[in-house]
Amino acid sequence: MTTPEKGKGLAGVAGEPFAVELRGVTKRFGDVVAVDSLDLTVDENRFFALLGPSGCGKTTTLRMIGGFDEPTEGTIRLHGEDVTGRKPYARPVNTVFQSYALFPHLSIFENVAFGLRRQKVGDADVKRRVGETLELVQLTGMERRRPGQLSGGQQQRIALARALINHPKVLLLDEPLGALDLKLRKEMQIELKRIQNEVGITFIHVTHDQEEAMTMADSIAVMNAGHIERLGTPHEIYEDPQSSFVASFLGSSNLVEAAVVDLARGELAIGTRRVHVIPERVPAGAAQVKIGVRPEKLGVHSPGETTAVNTLMGTIADVSFIGVSTQYLVDTELGTSMAAVQQNTGGRRFSPGEQITLAWAPEHTFVVR
Amino acid sequence: MTDGTATRSAAAASAERRRRRVPYLLLLPGGLWLAFFYILPMLQLAGTSLKSGSFAGGYRFSWEFSNYGAGFSDFSAQFLRSIAYAGLATLITFVIAYPLAYFIAFRGGRYKNLLLVLVIMPFLFPFLLRTLAWKIILADDGFVVDTLKAIGLVSHNGRLLATGTAVVAGIAYNFLPFMTLPLYVSLEKIEPAMVEAAHDLYANPRTAFRKVTFPLSMPGVVAGTLLTLIPAAGDYVNAQLLGTPQQSMIGNVIQSRFLLVLDYPVAAALSFTLMLAILAMIIPYIRFTGTEDLVA
Repeated sequence: MTTPEKGKGLAGVAGEPFAVELRGVTKRFGDVVAVDSLDLTVDENRFFALLGPSGCGKTTTLRMIGGFDEPTEGTIRLHGEDVTGRKPYARPVNTVFQSYALFPHLSIFENVAFGLRRQKVGDADVKRRVGETLELVQLTGMERRRPGQLSGGQQQRIALARALINHPKVLLLDEPLGALDLKLRKEMQIELKRIQNEVGITFIHVTHDQEEAMTMADSIAVMNAGHIERLGTPHEIYEDPQSSFVASFLGSSNLVEAAVVDLARGELAIGTRRVHVIPERVPAGAAQVKIGVRPEKLGVHSPGETTAVNTLMGTIADVSFIGVSTQYLVDTELGTSMAAVQQNTGGRRFSPGEQITLAWAPEHTFVVR
Repeated sequence: MTDGTATRSAAAASAERRRRRVPYLLLLPGGLWLAFFYILPMLQLAGTSLKSGSFAGGYRFSWEFSNYGAGFSDFSAQFLRSIAYAGLATLITFVIAYPLAYFIAFRGGRYKNLLLVLVIMPFLFPFLLRTLAWKIILADDGFVVDTLKAIGLVSHNGRLLATGTAVVAGIAYNFLPFMTLPLYVSLEKIEPAMVEAAHDLYANPRTAFRKVTFPLSMPGVVAGTLLTLIPAAGDYVNAQLLGTPQQSMIGNVIQSRFLLVLDYPVAAALSFTLMLAILAMIIPYIRFTGTEDLVA
């Protein structure tokens, strides 16, 4: 994933055109701006997630790539080719719909073959490719059933097969796992990832489930209110979310007001304490920022028993033991509460009322405006 | 303790028995209604169709199957005309109602309910009055005939009233809501994502309609055509008010046999023949259209 400047070239890595390229794409429904002047490029052969809360514009973005909605402004290119204004049936993309939208009056075979039939592929080829695709989604032998006779998970795989059989340049997935129960959803996450690896097609996956996005995607664009808040690998955006929206949307975090003391050395002040962060993470020109630390990155120690760079004093307010880990709620010296999660690997357990020191490393600290 | 458990399980068993009776109790009113107002009259009619004798001398049950043969051979013209008129009217109704229902279902937006009320509106006026109004509309000196004459669709001394055209048009008009409503219901049920999926899979609008929208609306097509065809085949009001004896349908014959000629056995035999003819037409139709797959 790359984030070229506005107006910069149309090529991704190695001079190849991007699989998907959106330039200044805006979608207005009446007075409502669903997508606001969006620039987005997705490289070839990526598993790309559009992540965000409902109403953030992620589904509208997907629908504009698929051709179901036309952008009010801007252009959409697929593999360098401008497809803005082209109807869905004239675009080399296929979609897995949230409701699957399998055709109830057709057999599984004819559902999967639907796209090939429209492209006038010969019977022998259709038969072979349907067989291969059903094998890919592990549903061989279901050809003669009707969609209504399949379980939710099977219908999901058929929806995927029906789209993939056409070898689209880009596969669009609109909350495809939303209707499945948790266990099946976990299975399908791994399955989707495997299939994407196998077919090597760019997947653009819309979801509001941060864990799902992190599990599957190579790159994630976190969307909010019609624009992209943060774009990067799951690791990048989790460790350095850069905005409080992204920080709170992906996992939980402790956010504290801080004043910039020394930009070059990454030194900030929280209350009377000095803390250090990676200097590049401090936005230039900001005097007042917030720093964030993920609960699992906060160490809980007896006072004086840590040599960590960043520390805060506090009192244990609440302890909850949840098997793999223990969660502490700590009243800090700043007067705020912080959450800390410790793996249960034999370390000392603390009780409510105990004085402790919270400690964390500069690289585990992120800064948001 | 043991006694308490036994009492409780006995109570549970009787509650279970009551629960199992509930569906039958719910069926009872409808069942009684059908038994008294449908099955009994049918049996009586079947009995009547096999009687012989005369109105003056009284009719006696005598397994008189010849009523059927006589009825059919005497009135085969009216039978064929009924089927032709009803079939034609059903076709016309379908051609008008499908686009109408499609429009209301997919483009009606917030006017959907208003448009549906407009479709049903004619029902607020009695059937007979509506048909009489058509008699005036189609009259020889009416504006419809004048207009059609002006554009040459009706010859100079031609007319509409008292022709087969008028009867078919009247039937088509009177049964339009019966066609429109089931079509609307089945079209409205189609998820927009179904059509989007078809477009996504390279079907242009025409193919998407042919391969997805229309097949998914089949339950409505079948229900609508049956709701129109069946009563239209037995209708006599349109033929009587808008046609002449040359346009009389089997409904007119049955009506006059029952009420004017008082030849009950032949009238009953004609009724049964009509019913069997309709069944013979619609059973293969339902089989062929395969709607049971869509209902499942």
